Amino acid sequence: MGRFESLSDHELVKASQNGSEGYFGELVDRHTNLVYRIARSITGSHEEAEDIVQETFLRAFKSIEKFDESKSTFKTWLLTIARNQSINIVSSFRRKTFKFFSDRDEDDPELEFSSNPLSQETQDAETQLSIKQQFHAMEKALKKLPERQRSALLLKSQESMSYEEIAVVMDISVSSVESLIFRARKKIIKLVER
Amino acid sequence: MKHMEYQKQISLLLDGALDSPSQRKLVDHLSECADCVRVYEEMVSLNDSLATVKFSLADHALADNVKARISRHSSSFRYSWNFSLLKQVPIWALIAALAVGVGDKAGQTLTEALSAQDATPKIDTLLQDNSESLSDIALDFGMAENSQ
Repeated sequence: MGRFESLSDHELVKASQNGSEGYFGELVDRHTNLVYRIARSITGSHEEAEDIVQETFLRAFKSIEKFDESKSTFKTWLLTIARNQSINIVSSFRRKTFKFFSDRDEDDPELEFSSNPLSQETQDAETQLSIKQQFHAMEKALKKLPERQRSALLLKSQESMSYEEIAVVMDISVSSVESLIFRARKKIIKLVER
Repeated sequence: MKHMEYQKQISLLLDGALDSPSQRKLVDHLSECADCVRVYEEMVSLNDSLATVKFSLADHALADNVKARISRHSSSFRYSWNFSLLKQVPIWALIAALAVGVGDKAGQTLTEALSAQDATPKIDTLLQDNSESLSDIALDFGMAENSQ
């Protein structure tokens, strides 16, 4: 157990604002996966998602003194930075130029599933294959969604964020979040059916 | 209410964002609409699937890289901090400090003030000043020659 694991995000942020780098390191440990998932879902690239994670935390560290907890939680603030970074990368000239040549890395050795079903020796090969197929089918369908729908849906379904928190991260209204998630669900169901 | 409206409410229900009166109306509708029941089941199934496709990094390598980069940034930030503090000193304070600190060098040029050497002109040490003009010296020289 790490030195700071018993502390809340709020306490870690306060300590970080007083200039303690070690406390910020604990925030990095806690939220790296979360930021990675959002960046990965927007860019569709493992390498770009890793770059975004680095830039996001560096930016957060640089401006931690300006972060106001009365306006949002640290997690929401961090995801807002990550999403903006991801959108910038996706819309950059570099991305537009090279996306045709490197559609996506099919096998990422660094990745595993949330419950890591593939690495469990207890599961037979058939079950593993089925889960892998389901994973790829779902990921393919997710990629076909517009970025806003995909982000809203994943923030809700995978990160269990409230509509209000998603609205802050995406800088839109709560009713827009509701519509985006509904449309995303309808569309992805159609895509999976095909 | 149209089916699409009920289906939107199904989405809200799954997210725990549907109020109680609307929930009751939705349940009533689902009891008599097979199409909306199918949408409900599909959305529940989709939610389960989305939980499965959650990406997760297998190790802490990325987090360690991030922390190392922050540490590098932090040390360079500390180095530049002293310099930036100097820049915050008002210009009038710097001028006042210079005026007080170099008071004994008043009247000297900047080069003289910064030079470690004695600023006294070297010619004074070679030619002693006896309050004589050049013509006085020449006159003395001529008188000495004439007396010989």
